[in-house]
Amino acid sequence: MTGYTDKIREIAKRLLQSCQVEMVIGFRQGSVPMMSEPCMVRRPEDVDQLMWDSHCGINLANYLTDRKEKIAVFAKGCDSRNMVTHIVENKIKREQLVIVGVPCQGMIDKRKVAEMATAEIVSVRELNSKIEVKTTAGEESIAKAEVLQSNCRVCRHRNPVIFDEMVAEPVAEQADVDPYSDVRAIEAMTPDEKWKYFDDLLAPCLRCYACRNACPLCYCPTCFVDEAKPQWVGKGQDPVDIRTFHFLRAYHCAGRCTDCGACARACPVGIDMRAFTKKLNKDCFDLYGWEAGMSLETRPALDVFKANDPGEFIK
Amino acid sequence: MTVITITKTELSDGLAALRKGYKLFGPVAEKSSYTFRELEKDRDPDFSYQNTRLSPKGIVFPQSEDMFTYTLDSTREDAHFLKEAPKDYSPRVIFGIRPCDAKAVSLTRMNFDTRAYRDPYWMGLFEATTFVGMACDTPCQTCFCTTAGCGPYHEEGLDVLISDRGDHYLAKPLSEKGRQLLAVAGWLKPAEADFDKNKAAAEAKIGSSVATDRLASADTLALYGADFWEDISFACINCGTCTFVCPTCWCFDIQDEVHGKTGKRARNWDSCMFPIFTIHTTGHNPRGTKLHRVRQRFMHKLKYFVDKYEAGIMCVGCGRCIRACPVNIDIRNVCGLMNSRAAENVCAEGK
Amino acid sequence: MKNLLEHMGVEPDRIHFSWISSAESTKFVSVVNEISAKVKALGPNQHFIKQEAKGAQP
Repeated sequence: MTGYTDKIREIAKRLLQSCQVEMVIGFRQGSVPMMSEPCMVRRPEDVDQLMWDSHCGINLANYLTDRKEKIAVFAKGCDSRNMVTHIVENKIKREQLVIVGVPCQGMIDKRKVAEMATAEIVSVRELNSKIEVKTTAGEESIAKAEVLQSNCRVCRHRNPVIFDEMVAEPVAEQADVDPYSDVRAIEAMTPDEKWKYFDDLLAPCLRCYACRNACPLCYCPTCFVDEAKPQWVGKGQDPVDIRTFHFLRAYHCAGRCTDCGACARACPVGIDMRAFTKKLNKDCFDLYGWEAGMSLETRPALDVFKANDPGEFIK
Repeated sequence: MTVITITKTELSDGLAALRKGYKLFGPVAEKSSYTFRELEKDRDPDFSYQNTRLSPKGIVFPQSEDMFTYTLDSTREDAHFLKEAPKDYSPRVIFGIRPCDAKAVSLTRMNFDTRAYRDPYWMGLFEATTFVGMACDTPCQTCFCTTAGCGPYHEEGLDVLISDRGDHYLAKPLSEKGRQLLAVAGWLKPAEADFDKNKAAAEAKIGSSVATDRLASADTLALYGADFWEDISFACINCGTCTFVCPTCWCFDIQDEVHGKTGKRARNWDSCMFPIFTIHTTGHNPRGTKLHRVRQRFMHKLKYFVDKYEAGIMCVGCGRCIRACPVNIDIRNVCGLMNSRAAENVCAEGK
Repeated sequence: MKNLLEHMGVEPDRIHFSWISSAESTKFVSVVNEISAKVKALGPNQHFIKQEAKGAQP
């Protein structure tokens, strides 16, 4: 992953120079440790700002919605599945896109790194399987595997499912991971324990909507929480309203979420609201054998009624 | 006003005494960050923090605040009356606020306390609060207070400023409220000490800065029409994170909520980053695009406020927006672009 | 929907689904009775009650 930057710049330059695309959407270096900034490049001479590392966790499919230009966009496995969903849902046309696939070995969770560091972090350098962290108190070396984002740890689709060209050879998919182990842990709790678990999880929520806005699936012109006539959900800090926002947003993403983790990554107070969507993803998989965004040909599971759809819950 | 010395034990005892007359708020560690909480019995502030994740503005300006309530239930005596929501304006102390956040309260006050109007809710909480600051000897990497109109030992907005000397504290009273607090806490031992001894060292540790010298003289329309806004605003996802963590942001939305026969009017924090912030009842939205909104935020903070109040930028350099922004939009970069573009215009006009 | 609500801690017997045609009045009666009994057995709902509503509760 550390060697992708040069290839990315080369591809971007070529696509812009040949006018195959009008803009390239990628990442540039962040101004603080462990961050990258999504950016757009329109001129071949500007491609040198593009880069790629294990901090490029934001989902770039989010920036495609309803755009009219011809766009080249860099896509990890999860991002590419969201692009498939976008195309199926008519939010962008396939012909507009040049998808440059980026095989991913996992993104780093900066919060995990900060927790392991013994003092304030000044800079972070990535070397293959290790991270060199320079703090105000000295230098530390951390194994990358220990600080991967939770969703990356259990990812089974690291390679893009749709692409026009690839930045590198595909990486091996993880075979022995249980993507739903977190969900199973919650399923094993009693109803009271479950309620408390989610109460604790959502307690710091500010209703900033970073999770919703970072999500490529959340593109409604007026989100249900922003409606006032009628007002479905209160806009204050009542725990019921907070829970309703998260639970209902997750439900709107049911069968469409690819567990890219952009929501949890964007949250300023570190809430892992994937607890909701992961349960829905598991149910879609168990009940319909469905994983979002794997193919342009099939309609999503919750879009279609089939005679053999599970129905035991209906009496 | 004489500087007071306080031992570590005296601090704890003094806080216990303060609890009798004041509600005490201070920084505490919670999971992996710090936050301001009400300090109940025996819970002392944790000064191992650099700064809290959220600013303490929520103590004077709660995120969700009821304004008034009513009931239409005619079996009740108070039916059809608009009643002020019950408020608690008992004396309180924010113990351990950083100088940047305290200055931010002063900046916010300029909006809530004007000749034309005084916001009763904000002023009620503000006047009931005594601000005890803790000077900053280990600023964050993202702090740039010294070029944003304050600094790690800045006194604006504070009633008392405390400097941590390792084995004891020095406290400098800055107002009548501050002197009263020191008396209630029993912190009255004068010290022959140079309060500002560590100030220069602390200021030197601020590694980050913004250039603001050209902002006041810049041509507003030239900045507004500059070509860098598209690039700056591209990454923005229009969440409310920067505005919610910012100690100088104060926009709010007023909402009614009805439950059967009772109802209330409340105000909640709002954000100019939200797409519907400026939507009109006609459906027209003057800031309908991301670029409009991002530009507006930075123009407000770094240009309109500068022009209107001539008191510097509406930013205290706390760095929270930089740390919290999910897509790393950095106000230092934007300020730099605006300031250097302003300089170019001055040259272009042949001045 | 049922799964997600239960996952969040709402008791399993609070939410029920049933296909009932307008011509199946007997089924309607028996399903409603059955659901009412099941939900009543769980007692008053303690979740999803906003602060204001808590004040108004008897």
